[in-house]
Amino acid sequence: MLILCCPNCGARNVSEFRFGGENSPRPALPMEASEAEWAEYLYLRANTMGPQVEWWYHQAGCGLWFLAERDRALNEVVRTFIWEDGVQEKERERGGERS
Amino acid sequence: MTPDGAMGPSGGDLPGRLKKRAGEVVDRDRSIEFTFDDETYSAHPGDTIASALVAAGIRVFSRSFKYHRPRGLLCCAGNCPNCLVQVGDEPNVRACRRPVEEGMSVAAQNAWPSLRHDLMSLIQYAAPLMPVGFYYKTFMRPKKLWPLYEHVLRQAAGLGTINTHAQELPGADKRYLHADVAVIGGGPAGVGAALAAAREGARVLLFDENTDLGGHGCYRRGGVASSAALRSTIDAVQGGSTTGEIEVLTDTSVFGWYKHNWLGAVQGRRLFKVRAKAVVLATGSFERPPVFGNNDLPGIMLGSGVSRLLHQYSVAPGRRVVVVTVNDEGWELAADLVAAGVEVVAVVDRRPQRSELAEGPMAQSGATLLFSHTIWAASGRGEVEGARFIRVGGSGADGADPSAGGPTLREPTLREPMVREAVACDLIALSTDRSPARELAYMAGAQDDQFGTGPGAGDTLPPGMYAAGRCRGTKGVEEGIGQDILYGEVAGRAAAAFARDGIDHPDNVVAVEVDRIEAEDAPCEYSPEADSTGSGKSFVCLCEDVTDEDLQTAMAEGFDHIQLLKRYSTATMGPCQGRMCAAETARICARTTGRTLREVGRTTARPPAKPVTLDALAGQKMDPVQITPLHDWHVDRGANMMVAGLWLRPEHYGDAVAEVRAVRQRVGLIDVSPLGKLKLTGPGVPDLLERIYANQWRQLGRGRVRYGVMCNDEGVVIDDGVTARVGDTEWYMSTTSSGARSVFEWIEWWLQSGWGDGVHLTDLTQTYAAFNLAGPRARQVLQKLTGRDLGNGRFPYMRVRTVRVAGVPCRVLRIGFTGELSYELHCPAGYAPHLWEALMEAGEEFDLLPFGVEAQRVLRLEKGHIIVGQDTDALSDPISADLGWAVKMAGKDDFLGRRALTRISQNGPRQRLVGFEAEGADDVPEEGLQIVGAHDRIIGWVTSSRYSSTLGRVIGLCWLPVEIASQSGGTFRIHRAGGDVVARVHHGPFYDPQGERLKL
Amino acid sequence: MSLKLIRQALNRHRPPPRMWRAHPLKKRYDVIIIGGGAHGLACAHYLAKDHGVTDVAVLEKSYIGSGGSGRNTAIIRANYLTPEGVRFYHQSLMLYEDLAGELDFNVMFSQRGHLTLAHTDGAVRTMRRRAEVNRLQGVDSRLVGPEELARLCPHLDLSQRPRYPILAALYHPPGGIIRHDAVVWGYAHQADTRGIHIHQQTEVTGIDAGDGGAVQGVQTTRGYVEAGTVLNATAGWGSTIAAMVDLELPLETFPLQACVTEPLKPFLDTVIVSGSLHVYVSQSDRGELVMGASIDPYASYSLNSSLDFLEGIAGHMLELFPFLGEARILRQWAGPCEMPPDFSPLMGKTPVSGFLLDVGWGTYGFKASPICGKTMAQLIATGETPDLIAPFRLSRFAELDLVGEKGAASVGQ
Repeated sequence: MLILCCPNCGARNVSEFRFGGENSPRPALPMEASEAEWAEYLYLRANTMGPQVEWWYHQAGCGLWFLAERDRALNEVVRTFIWEDGVQEKERERGGERS
Repeated sequence: MTPDGAMGPSGGDLPGRLKKRAGEVVDRDRSIEFTFDDETYSAHPGDTIASALVAAGIRVFSRSFKYHRPRGLLCCAGNCPNCLVQVGDEPNVRACRRPVEEGMSVAAQNAWPSLRHDLMSLIQYAAPLMPVGFYYKTFMRPKKLWPLYEHVLRQAAGLGTINTHAQELPGADKRYLHADVAVIGGGPAGVGAALAAAREGARVLLFDENTDLGGHGCYRRGGVASSAALRSTIDAVQGGSTTGEIEVLTDTSVFGWYKHNWLGAVQGRRLFKVRAKAVVLATGSFERPPVFGNNDLPGIMLGSGVSRLLHQYSVAPGRRVVVVTVNDEGWELAADLVAAGVEVVAVVDRRPQRSELAEGPMAQSGATLLFSHTIWAASGRGEVEGARFIRVGGSGADGADPSAGGPTLREPTLREPMVREAVACDLIALSTDRSPARELAYMAGAQDDQFGTGPGAGDTLPPGMYAAGRCRGTKGVEEGIGQDILYGEVAGRAAAAFARDGIDHPDNVVAVEVDRIEAEDAPCEYSPEADSTGSGKSFVCLCEDVTDEDLQTAMAEGFDHIQLLKRYSTATMGPCQGRMCAAETARICARTTGRTLREVGRTTARPPAKPVTLDALAGQKMDPVQITPLHDWHVDRGANMMVAGLWLRPEHYGDAVAEVRAVRQRVGLIDVSPLGKLKLTGPGVPDLLERIYANQWRQLGRGRVRYGVMCNDEGVVIDDGVTARVGDTEWYMSTTSSGARSVFEWIEWWLQSGWGDGVHLTDLTQTYAAFNLAGPRARQVLQKLTGRDLGNGRFPYMRVRTVRVAGVPCRVLRIGFTGELSYELHCPAGYAPHLWEALMEAGEEFDLLPFGVEAQRVLRLEKGHIIVGQDTDALSDPISADLGWAVKMAGKDDFLGRRALTRISQNGPRQRLVGFEAEGADDVPEEGLQIVGAHDRIIGWVTSSRYSSTLGRVIGLCWLPVEIASQSGGTFRIHRAGGDVVARVHHGPFYDPQGERLKL
Repeated sequence: MSLKLIRQALNRHRPPPRMWRAHPLKKRYDVIIIGGGAHGLACAHYLAKDHGVTDVAVLEKSYIGSGGSGRNTAIIRANYLTPEGVRFYHQSLMLYEDLAGELDFNVMFSQRGHLTLAHTDGAVRTMRRRAEVNRLQGVDSRLVGPEELARLCPHLDLSQRPRYPILAALYHPPGGIIRHDAVVWGYAHQADTRGIHIHQQTEVTGIDAGDGGAVQGVQTTRGYVEAGTVLNATAGWGSTIAAMVDLELPLETFPLQACVTEPLKPFLDTVIVSGSLHVYVSQSDRGELVMGASIDPYASYSLNSSLDFLEGIAGHMLELFPFLGEARILRQWAGPCEMPPDFSPLMGKTPVSGFLLDVGWGTYGFKASPICGKTMAQLIATGETPDLIAPFRLSRFAELDLVGEKGAASVGQ
């Protein structure tokens, strides 16, 4: 049984968690998004045979919703992180690109 | 005759039982009785069914699956199908692994009328018409007869019989185990590993599927005691003179490796679920039955099987033995047999002549000693009576280097074909090529070429997994028990280090070379092409009766990939799951297609490594059931309890119609505790509510209650309920009972991914009980229990108040699902029984009745209220579902579903949920019936329907195309088998359309 | 007795004819079908037989039938929820009824009856809805109560003892089980006899869509092959192939596990499915009980088995058949199921010209193999999308016109 690391609680059996699906960010301005962007958000998924960022919920534990990067071909978790950290990471990346 | 084991009576008069021997596990002082096919046999405590029967002279244990050929003991280790018997109600028991119990009733399987005379064996005469895959080529015409053909085929299928009237036993407890190091296998390598790991401070679990530790050391002459090193290691393991702890679990079979060293093990009826940081496999190896003519005759056994019978049970399964071997263990077995007084007729070694063997102990025995020979065919009618041998090899060179990946098989040179004359015998012991038992490693993704010279060397096994002893390599078989223990210690130390530090330590690799040349790289010496006449059927898969010829035919037909070969021929698909035949099948495939073993590959190893009962896997029934604090009261009152998700709720208390009438005319009380209840606090709540509901919330004042419908971004209704503002920054949300958990998790997701500022959410579903007091007398009942003024002016409709009722602080909401004046009381669950009984008592004078889910369904339907999940499905939006009044988009910012709902309200819905009425009191069109238009084309369906005693007619809700739904009074047809029902569209509530009774 | 068998018996010393041949990979084919499972091979067969299109290559990365076709629990039925679903699967069932004759290969379709148990009143409602929709489409289905259920499957526990007592069932007489590998082999043989090339051990590693969004050819482990029409029939790995033309699909792939017991003398004559317990079971012609449940709780391409699955299914089996405790599990395995949001497949054209889809088959793909083969062959041969599969077009997601088929898999999600 896969061991998943909750950012709060540490390593736990995967049976304690509920899978939340591939991360599909909501467009910032839903009424202005194009049909393609909207359908992408609602339905399209990368479904990669490799590392994928996805949501998990610690249902039988602390109730944290967090993200995991997991290689779906090997079923090995690369890392887990909370949403705020992910956002800050993206911002740092974007900042890096500009400079 | 030699002193230590004369053949003959041993106090039990059994032909196969020897005199008492050192190391035997049977208790000679006692005797127990059991039956096999209705005949009584005696055994000693410690005997297995197989050993007792062999002692009694029984040779045939079963009939094979397809041809019903007689089969005798082969492996004595639970690896083959030959000894599967029925024990009482238990089918498919391995007789060689099951201890005899007093009064046990054993029967043969799949033979009729008896094991000895099985009429089904006549099928062998049709064998030429039954080649591999024959059933794909026949039984098709005429098409009508296929069910009959199938029926006949089915009756012939299956082995054991399930008793469909057997009583279910209460499940056994499962147990979780945790270890730093789990050692699988308690033979020399295993006990060495366990001890070494414990000495490093690890917490160790040691598993062995046998009753005693010692592995193959148990079935050699003198048993475990004959090796001082083994004896002392076992003592140390069991004695506890170590640093860490070792828990030993015997009679425990580890059947599955799962992700991250999660192991499944079974001991009798108990399932163990094990998490180990590191795993050491010390699972040993087993001989592969070689393929030769008539190799399935009773009396042909694996050498280790004969050893087990001889040394553990003091049973000799034959009197004139031929030993066929490729290693020194076969010679050891021959010498042991001679010492026990059994005649060894011949020892046939495939290897070239070695003087120390030719001139050793066997030289005096009178046996024929052959080198560079192997067995060509066995013969006999119904059991072994003779054997013929063939010369092999030629050059004496060892063949190609297997690590080079080139061809690893060589054809025997038969320049001078020498199939010698038959030798008479009644037992053939095959001490031949061995397969390492690596299934668990394969399950973990290990490849054969990863079993290197030591843990951590080269391409490792999956991290945290180590192998030691014969399961790592079988060339070292001659090196003896002492060496196995050493290998085990290396693996144990490495495993302990990994458990401690989480990484492999290359320094732990000891320079102990285990030769990687696998026995399976050695050529399969029997070549049917040499002479296929007269040698008889040569079986590859005993479980499924698949012969070498069958495999050749299959490959010729195009099934030359190992997986296609398996599926078409069914080789490896029987009870042994390839233990006895997968390696041979792969070799024959490689040989025939001219590929290497590596190119051919293997059939996939899957759990369980040994079959596990459903009973052990299921364990105790642990299905949770959720009940309200009033559960016992409902049951005592005679409620018909119904399943509602995980909850049990009262459907009614005997007369749902009376309950409806009570609510309409007087007052009723329903337990709605399963309702979802969420508390939201913080300044950010109004913004959150705006985002998750389709209507408006910012201006809702304190003490007010509003209905809301929750959508996802597809615009689909996911839940509904009322939300109340109980304080400046405190809100109270109710959800459907089936949606309680999912709505909580849904909102939590949005809060934790950006919408959480200033909001805190608490799930109070299980904390508060809730009742709904409904009916024109409701106020009067409630007023008796509180000093608070409940007048309509003080406490109007759609308001929330905190009220002390019967001394209990309650949150009271005036809402109206049922359409009558009603108060929904929420109180801490501990007070619920007191409050309920107070309400019941206060309501007595008004003839208050408790009412259940069924009455509530009717009441809400009379008001046209929908039930999310029943009247709506996974595609329903609120506008189409008659909840458009709860969608108020003007002036709202972004909310979930806005885009879809904007589009739908612009284009208009295509379908609508709408009310209907039908004539006829007894003619309720059931929920689920379809509505049809011209030519019976489906245009909608009935989601809710009941007879309303209040209104005296049938009412319901249904989906219809918008053209029909918008015409009040328009008729349509509900399709039904007994006769269609004509119904009329009805807009708005059926009962009290102005909603006056709610506001009394 | 079959002439073929008699001939084979008389000619034991001569090698029997091959069912499919190995060909060199040509530089160009008119049509390439990626995926050598039942869908891909059925399409090849109907292309050749119905339309005379034979310049076709089926490219299979491993052995034929190695994907979902070889891993499913072999249940065939047509008792779906939506009219368009029922129509579609009914066509498939009827093709299955005649398939042994069509392929001259006994696929052993055993129409022994299919029961979907209802344990809650909500489930009873859904079963009635399905029965009605089925009957109006001409599919034999009806709701049965406990009495009739006891006659149809005498061994079910119909008492009040189980945690979720059985209330009723949807009975579908024409449903049953089949020898799933035989379907693959039968189609492969027929396609091969008509000159279609089946290339096993040939993995597609890239698709050349040129500059104008039109397919030019595919890159494989055995070289580049030109083609104007490429069909993605790789359900389980549909997203991976689609990604080669930069096409994202509404799919997430989950493992679906199954297991089998040791052979037992026959006692179960129908297929039993329980929506509430999320399990299904049938007894094969070899006597083994074949069992399955819903998809794994999280997405993965790794097809490892789990102990949770065995524990869960064992518990549920004993709820249905309390006497079954002594039966032993012999083997468990898994297959990949790619799940679209509306439980209906993705069939037909895509924005990339020449690139066609037959994927998104979730847990309900094998039973649709014949009709998929037929309709996709028709689409390829004529260029027109058949009406029967129009509801399953990829564009329905952009059009926000999803299919309402939650009954697609009675158990699955």
